[in-house]
Amino acid sequence: MLECRNLVVNYESTPVLQNLSIYIGSGEIVALTGPSGSGKTTLLRCIAGLEIINAGSIWLNAEEITTRPAHLRRIGLVFQDNQLFPHLNVAENIAYSLKIHRVSKKLIDEKVAEVLDLVDLAHLADREVVRLSGGEAKRIAVARALVAQPEVLLLDEPLNGLDKELHARLLEDLGKLLRLRGTTTLHVTHDQDEAAKMADRVLDIRQLLS
Amino acid sequence: MTSAYRHTTKWLAIAPIAVMLAFVLVPVLNIFSTSLRLDSFAILSAATTRNIVWFTTWQAFISTAIVLVIASPIAAVIANFKFIGRRALISLVSVPFILPTVVVGAAFLELLPRSIHRSALAIIIAHVYFNVGLAVRIISSRWQQIHPQLDDAARTLGASTIRTFLTITLPLLKKSFISAGLLVFLMCFTSYGVVRILGGPARSTIETEIYFRAMQLGDVSGALVLSILQLVVVGILIFLITNIGKAKASPKFGQTVYSRMHHPRSSRQKLLVATVAITTAVAVVTPLMSVLHRSIYLGQRFDTSAWRSVLVDTEIFSSLLTSLRYAIFSIVVSSIVGLLGASAIVYGSSRYQFVNLITSIPIVLSAVTLGLGLIITFDVNPIDWRGSWLMMPIAHCLVAIPIVIRIISPVLRDLPNDLRDASRTLGATTWQMWRTIDLRIITPALITAAAIACAISLGEFGASSFLVRRNNETLPLTISRLLSRPGDSIQAQAYAISTLLIVVCIGIIAIVDYRDSNERGI
Repeated sequence: MLECRNLVVNYESTPVLQNLSIYIGSGEIVALTGPSGSGKTTLLRCIAGLEIINAGSIWLNAEEITTRPAHLRRIGLVFQDNQLFPHLNVAENIAYSLKIHRVSKKLIDEKVAEVLDLVDLAHLADREVVRLSGGEAKRIAVARALVAQPEVLLLDEPLNGLDKELHARLLEDLGKLLRLRGTTTLHVTHDQDEAAKMADRVLDIRQLLS
Repeated sequence: MTSAYRHTTKWLAIAPIAVMLAFVLVPVLNIFSTSLRLDSFAILSAATTRNIVWFTTWQAFISTAIVLVIASPIAAVIANFKFIGRRALISLVSVPFILPTVVVGAAFLELLPRSIHRSALAIIIAHVYFNVGLAVRIISSRWQQIHPQLDDAARTLGASTIRTFLTITLPLLKKSFISAGLLVFLMCFTSYGVVRILGGPARSTIETEIYFRAMQLGDVSGALVLSILQLVVVGILIFLITNIGKAKASPKFGQTVYSRMHHPRSSRQKLLVATVAITTAVAVVTPLMSVLHRSIYLGQRFDTSAWRSVLVDTEIFSSLLTSLRYAIFSIVVSSIVGLLGASAIVYGSSRYQFVNLITSIPIVLSAVTLGLGLIITFDVNPIDWRGSWLMMPIAHCLVAIPIVIRIISPVLRDLPNDLRDASRTLGATTWQMWRTIDLRIITPALITAAAIACAISLGEFGASSFLVRRNNETLPLTISRLLSRPGDSIQAQAYAISTLLIVVCIGIIAIVDYRDSNERGI
């Protein structure tokens, strides 16, 4: 489970998050909505360890991780615009975290193949990421985050900018995938319908501030 | 191709083509056809030539390696951190690159202990000082095009800061390191002024040897053979530099600059930024201060006589006026011809790319060979211009025009056609459209190009060494002449002139960077 207690974040004296608290149970999918500029992305970045918080604490499975560096948190993040590494191909992007953790080549190949199957893109393993379509890139970004087996997966408006049909199909696939793997997920979106279809629980960020 | 101006392209191309044909192609072909003898190729197998080629190559290689090592942390700090004085640091680190090479040579002559004057070490130190700014600019601007969230993505996937740098940042910067390395190697390989001042007779590069053979030994044919050798190496380097960005598997970078910069957060980051910024500032400023110091101290005594003589000595004052006159000529002619050339390249169809090619020749050709071509070609009637003041500023323009074109053409190319179409639909004629849209948008680039043309003219030394006549000595030539004469007070005059040029170059960089940052809204 993931818990944030009374988080305070200021950017150069401008308050961004004021006393925000949130709890997500193990294996739960929570959607977080709210207007633009309300601090949803900042919250995800704080949980991932990419922003420094001014006050409050973050707990993962009853262990405080507030000051733990991002690379040791085991929290995955899928960015709004994917951020696939442009100098690596699809398979290399997915294998990135496994190589970092010095997993054997054989196991890397197995896991990459498995996760590519899971997102239905096994045929694109050798493709340059700059040649992927929007939907393909999104699936690869999710696959890259999942293969690292994070304790918590953070999704930052992952379906933004996709056309209606693709959006609906990916939303369904993503929901199935996360439930199948039992991944604890915090899904940020400004789309109420998307939140309702995907999540076990929908929260508005404004209700989390005290 | 920009269709709105396609009918005017042929007129735009006339001036740049005519200038390059008359003052580059014809003179160069002329000296090669009239002065080159086949038996001169024997010098390529001579031991002295082999030593010169070997020295030219290894000093350029070592200088380049050191430049890249020093430039990396500076580029990292500039690309990633916001701090007070960041813009000043960017400008400061660029100053050495536009300083006249003789001024850099003079600075290190003063700063370095006498025991290493006329040594390879002195040349390498000066080359490093001269080129670090160039490498920093290339690497840091590419670094700013790497999306900061790529680093974040790597960290959330388990990579530490160092692993993120090694596995993401460095591979994405690889091509900028290679480009910077090749360009710096090119600069060091063809260096002339620094080697003349700091190398003395004991240390020659191919470029100084071309001058020595042609002017001291009268062996023009031998000089041309060396010039061909240098041309081949430079041609290969330029081919590599131009094709680096076109490699098939290269990650695509746009023009987008991301806001990677943040204030240093941890004490380690603060220490890094402070150390790099202060060390860089001290390293850049120290040689410049040593020039000023040498101009106002004779021995241990404060003495301003060198400065008084700059204004009173008729020879020096005449050099000052000559340099200013040539700089103004160069600004006007290079800007106009460069603008026409850039317009022909951008507005014209693909067949006008030869304008790009022909205006690149002065970059490939050494300045010394260019000077040699001009002096040999224009010494017979009806174009006996040996006594004419025009030759030297024309040579300055030939060096500046390719740079002016390369500053203006990317801005013209990025200008959306829709703006021109909008202007057309609002009733503008072709001339009004160009004046109100194109010219308005490229004005900052034009000012930058003019400033750089001014710096090139004020510092040009290679071609000028051939073209100097009585009564048309420019400041770099005066500095070189004064430095070669004995006597502290005479040499102090060289340092006073060098200080003047340093101040002008700092002013030019300030203009360029001020306009650049205003344009980008930094």
